[in-house]
Amino acid sequence: MAKFSGVWATFEYLDEMSHAVEKIREKGKKPTVLSPCPRHEIDHALGEPQTRLPFISLFAGMLGCLTGYSFTAWTASDWVLPVSGKPIVAIPPFTIIGFELTILFTALFTLAGMVLLGVIDTLRHPLPPAVKKYTRFQRDRFGVVVDCDPAQTQDFEEIFKSYGAEEVHIENN
Amino acid sequence: MSGTTFTYGKINDDMLRMLERPHPSYFLLLLGFLTALGLGVLSLAVQVNVGIGYSGINHPIAWGVYITNFVFWIGIGHAGTLISAVFYLTRAPWRTAIYRAAEAMTVFAVMTAGLFPLLHTGRPWLAYWLIPYPNQRMLWVNFKSPLAWDVFAVSTYMTVSILFFMIGLIPDIAILRDEAIRKGQKLRAMIFTPLSLFWRGTNYQWMHYMRAYLIYAAIATPLVFSVHSIVSWDFAMSSIPGWHTTIFAPYFVAGAIFSGLAMVMTVLIPVRVVFGLEDYITDHVVQSVCRVIIFTSIIVGYAYATEFFIGWYSGSPFEKAIFYFRPFGLMEEWTLTGEQSIGFPQIAFFLMVFCNVIAPIPLWRWKIRNNLVAVWIICGLINVGMWFERFNIVGSSLQREFLPAAWGSYWPTVVEFGITVGSFGFFFTLFSLFVKALPPMAIMELKEAAHPPMKKEAHG
Repeated sequence: MAKFSGVWATFEYLDEMSHAVEKIREKGKKPTVLSPCPRHEIDHALGEPQTRLPFISLFAGMLGCLTGYSFTAWTASDWVLPVSGKPIVAIPPFTIIGFELTILFTALFTLAGMVLLGVIDTLRHPLPPAVKKYTRFQRDRFGVVVDCDPAQTQDFEEIFKSYGAEEVHIENN
Repeated sequence: MSGTTFTYGKINDDMLRMLERPHPSYFLLLLGFLTALGLGVLSLAVQVNVGIGYSGINHPIAWGVYITNFVFWIGIGHAGTLISAVFYLTRAPWRTAIYRAAEAMTVFAVMTAGLFPLLHTGRPWLAYWLIPYPNQRMLWVNFKSPLAWDVFAVSTYMTVSILFFMIGLIPDIAILRDEAIRKGQKLRAMIFTPLSLFWRGTNYQWMHYMRAYLIYAAIATPLVFSVHSIVSWDFAMSSIPGWHTTIFAPYFVAGAIFSGLAMVMTVLIPVRVVFGLEDYITDHVVQSVCRVIIFTSIIVGYAYATEFFIGWYSGSPFEKAIFYFRPFGLMEEWTLTGEQSIGFPQIAFFLMVFCNVIAPIPLWRWKIRNNLVAVWIICGLINVGMWFERFNIVGSSLQREFLPAAWGSYWPTVVEFGITVGSFGFFFTLFSLFVKALPPMAIMELKEAAHPPMKKEAHG
């Protein structure tokens, strides 16, 4: 695990935490917020960040659709099975396979994309081990982690305290 | 919903309390389901060992109870996806408390359903022939056959519903992990840590997670409508009288949602009573589900009527005949005391109409919808009725095809009954294990629906 230097705090109240996040962003830092459930207040405080996941899903859907049509067309041409003089490569029945594979590929790639993007972000914004040992973020507490130089820790500690943080911890390891 | 005033901590504790060591009666119940499952496994062993001839399936009735069960169980699954995806997109807030259990039901119902086509092939060990794979003769499946569509539709549906269910579980498993760490339960923590995919609840994780959830809801919505449509085309694409109609796709989908919601109530009303969850599965939730049941019951009733009307209006003697045979059978068979007793399709028809069209009528009354016992009994009847609807469709048309010389009759044999009972045992065993192993309600979503902890007045 990469070395972490910075400050993290726990909050009982969502509004106090959101104001602290806004203040930290004014200082030019990008804090990581931990919460038991998603809240729009957090998104507003963080400046409405957007995920790139839909592009992965769209690509997967198109790939699935293409696979569905081309696979059926290829197998029908490879093993020709004439039925009542109907077209060998028939679009309406193949649409069903195309549709199902669109859904299947989108589902698989969206899951993989979600995990991949999550891993990338976790590597970019590492959490100190002490945060991982604090077991109430999944339950009823909000957390804010700021990655900063040891010289700046004092400033952020004061911001956290002024916004009513429950606990403030300084990490220098 | 009333859950909005609960604190996050209370929701957490209430939900985790459901996972504590169960009452001895739970094991008794589980034993009952396992007995049914055992009967099913025994019947299955006999069926596979002796061969498909041991069932009542014979010329001309090639599709019997097994396909009935397949269609029935796939339908049961539909309610879960409807609640978790369609009602998510339409922002119906009452779904929050019941969607996890409904989704689990989907997964278990589709798993149950998946067993039947395999069994129905007669030689289940060759079931992989259904999948297009490169082989020495470069022989491919016929993609113009609805049966090949069905393989794709059902396997896609199973994959997507399992993944959707697992995605919903990630934050809740992280809660279980943290709880286990807090209590010093090392084994549990070791199991839950990888299952939670190392979830921490950071804003980055939530951002990707919520978007993934939305995308899943968006793709599961057309999927759920397509799957039972494709199942219906297994019938409608043939030329058999009574099957070859365009109404089948919407008719099957409405029936699927109808039966699925009835099953949701069948399993969740006992869960609410046993765990004392009146504050979460509120009367409003039960009322809302009942309203959708009434709505789908009307569609199903209308579809029954339309089938008869089109049977007459088509002018086709074969269509007319099949819709005469469904309720009445052959006239000489229409005796309860004579030598030839009443046939299975006739029982199926009248049970279907009674349970699906007449029995839900009392739900129109507010008082009945508010009475859990009444709702539970009506939903039980709907489950029976929907099973017989599927049988009515599968069995009756095949008995009376075009050529009277090729008519036949069908009674399921003891192995078919055994396997049917076993399928219910399989489903309820899995569901009972789920209720005690994983949070049956989405803790994260209940928190999201609750009023967040604010120091000052809440603002928009």
